[in-house]
Amino acid sequence: MPRIENRIRRLRFDAGEMTQKDLADRVGVTRQTILAIENGKYFPTLDLAFRISRAFGVPLDDVFTFHDD
Amino acid sequence: MSYSEREALSGLITTLIVLLLFLWRLSVQHDAGLFDSPEALQTWARSVLLLVAISIGIAIAVAISFHLGHEILTGEKPDDRRDERDHLIERRALTWAWYLLSFGILGVIVDLAFGATAFRAMNLILGLCAVSEIFKDGFKLWLYRRGA
Repeated sequence: MPRIENRIRRLRFDAGEMTQKDLADRVGVTRQTILAIENGKYFPTLDLAFRISRAFGVPLDDVFTFHDD
Repeated sequence: MSYSEREALSGLITTLIVLLLFLWRLSVQHDAGLFDSPEALQTWARSVLLLVAISIGIAIAVAISFHLGHEILTGEKPDDRRDERDHLIERRALTWAWYLLSFGILGVIVDLAFGATAFRAMNLILGLCAVSEIFKDGFKLWLYRRGA
């Protein structure tokens, strides 16, 4: 079954311990949505995925990785 | 708790209050024999219309208390942001509530075909509306708690 993993927690840490709220404000969603994405409970739309990668200044596949097991 | 989550919870509480009020009013009218007359459906319809008006007031009061209460308790600034996850959860809950209501109405039609009175059918449909509304808000809360 395909899996999508993300490195948002790590990227937030690298960005000076950016809080979930800060990231949520930057990309225009609620803190709960960031939490759900980090925990792999919710998969964002492409639009939001790109906004998250831009917020960290990294390419999309540095944030999300797709595993086709 | 996000704005949409609080909204679902306040909606759930509003529906429960309105449903209880309506059941209480119906039982009072039933005990007074108002539903034994030929104007039973008119009496019932007037009660529903009155309750619709009252429910709007209750919904506003519950929503304001919830948002104010949250602000006072948590000290967070009001944030009525709704995002793509909120819209997805809303759509999923609405879809399932719609199935429930549709199949319920179909059941009421079958009930009518087997001799149920129009009065009983109207009560069942109103009850179904309340149940589907409770289901919708409950399902939304469950999805939010689960993190979906």
